[in-house]
Amino acid sequence: MAGNDYAQAGEFKPIDLLAVSAAREVVDGEVVFAGTGLPMLAIMLAQLTTAPSAKCIYEAGSVDGRPISLPTSVGDARCIYQASIASGLWDVFGQLQRGSVDMAFLGGAEIDQYGNVNTTAMGGYAPMGKRLTGSGGNADINSLARKSVFIMVQEKRRFVERCSYITSPGWRLPKWPSGDFVPKKDVYGKAFRGGPNAVISNMGVFRFDDDGVIYLDTVHPGFTPEQVKDNCMFNLNIAKVSGETRPPTYDDLELLYKVVDPEGIFLP
Amino acid sequence: MTKPQKVSLSEAISQIQNGDMLTFSGFTIWRRPMAAIMELIRQGKKDLHLVMVNGGTHDDMLAGAGCVKIWESCWVGHELYGKIGGNFSRKVEAGEIICEDYSHVQVLYRLTAGAQGIPFMPTYAAMGSDILNPEYDMLGKAGLRDGSNPKIPAQKYEMYKDNFYGNETVLVPAAQPDWCIAHVNMVGSEGTVRVLGQKYSDEEAMKAADRVIVITEQIVPEEFIRREPERNLLPPYLVDYIVELPWGAHPTGCFGAYEADGAFIKDFFNNTRTQEGFDAWAAEWIFGVRDHEEYLNKLGVSRLETLRASSALGYSPKVKRGSR
Repeated sequence: MAGNDYAQAGEFKPIDLLAVSAAREVVDGEVVFAGTGLPMLAIMLAQLTTAPSAKCIYEAGSVDGRPISLPTSVGDARCIYQASIASGLWDVFGQLQRGSVDMAFLGGAEIDQYGNVNTTAMGGYAPMGKRLTGSGGNADINSLARKSVFIMVQEKRRFVERCSYITSPGWRLPKWPSGDFVPKKDVYGKAFRGGPNAVISNMGVFRFDDDGVIYLDTVHPGFTPEQVKDNCMFNLNIAKVSGETRPPTYDDLELLYKVVDPEGIFLP
Repeated sequence: MTKPQKVSLSEAISQIQNGDMLTFSGFTIWRRPMAAIMELIRQGKKDLHLVMVNGGTHDDMLAGAGCVKIWESCWVGHELYGKIGGNFSRKVEAGEIICEDYSHVQVLYRLTAGAQGIPFMPTYAAMGSDILNPEYDMLGKAGLRDGSNPKIPAQKYEMYKDNFYGNETVLVPAAQPDWCIAHVNMVGSEGTVRVLGQKYSDEEAMKAADRVIVITEQIVPEEFIRREPERNLLPPYLVDYIVELPWGAHPTGCFGAYEADGAFIKDFFNNTRTQEGFDAWAAEWIFGVRDHEEYLNKLGVSRLETLRASSALGYSPKVKRGSR
């Protein structure tokens, strides 16, 4: 078997497929905003494989670092090893708002069919249900990057009709003060430049149609489209499934476990 | 005041009054003024109003100790070492802390406006999010936007279509906290401040505040720190109090000095699942030691040496971080 052959079922874990699928979303040469966790694995793997000249920005203030040791969070000292610039939030969020960021990796606890995401509270906000971390940069990045890719855990209670709190704006969202749902373009006007491009879960890869509605694009090996649909509260469109998600290659797995995360920080 | 005073940690913290508005240096679990946080708790401060670009181990500790009345920020957690702020979540769910959510950019811009001395800043960030839901203006709902507290703006935000280019924006009000407590790498003997590595939002936080307490890994001759002024962040006249306190950011990390103590933070987080758990933790690590020196002695030399950063890398390659 060659390094670029696909691994067989049982030779990789769900988290490996998440990381590899996310890495494959990175376009070579693009500027990528990444957060803590799986996004770090994805961007580093992409830079080692299909996108060697992609640039990574971490939101605490590191620009195009070349870490030799996996950071555990974006404020980590490791982020700026061999970086082009070590700065701060004012610099990197300014670059984002100015339009210099092509894509972003994000996560969340709940997502709706328009790509609105909740990282703030489950089961209500006032009074507060179950309090989560809050927005952090999620809302800003999803507002202002040309495209964003969400990495999510697939559970029925997380793929919902309506987020209990919209932290991060998707393709159709409330226009305040009225709260009427309108296309993102109508809220952002001239500052509109894109939105959620893909959602990668442990069961499949989702994309958004021209109306900003989510659909299933590929299903991960071992699952059926119907199983994915059963794990969504909303009525998932599975009519456009293009096939099965490509598994990791042996080279991908070698790089993930030997080079990107040899200490087992995010990988088991 | 034109000249910063060198004082002890307890003297500096004793200047802070119940009800004051505070902000801090650092980012999540990096370069937080943790020794000062523990001293605030020892001195029993109450009703603090926190305005921070983000939270982390520091504000969750203050929340657990019952020091916080109002929290305005965008995030709290312990990164890899704790997925939420255990104390903060419990207190907010119980209605014991007023929580006003913004996005990262929005709260950064509030402090930037404060630092620039202007009343507000415009941004495109987070429009169409529930952060701007009028029902979720928590300070307004609590009746605290009536002007009686000059640090609380009359509105949470304002939507604004500009007449220059016709763009829809959200305006966020300036924040000028009473105090910034910052942990930094180096201060000159006259008070010039230097931070190494990422600067996070330290400059905005320190310049927005009315008064600044700088806690530093070391005080160096002013002549030394002025050899490379382009590396410095703040002149002496913007600093009020200087406290020299090596390891003062532990258990958070400090670029070039020491790693975040993940095992310590994880243990703290695990104890914050209940109030009783936090109280027992605080009895041991905050009230069980007299001061920072006793805290460091309790941690022990070998633990600290493992955390000490390589001068070549800025971090410690000796810490076990993962499962392998």
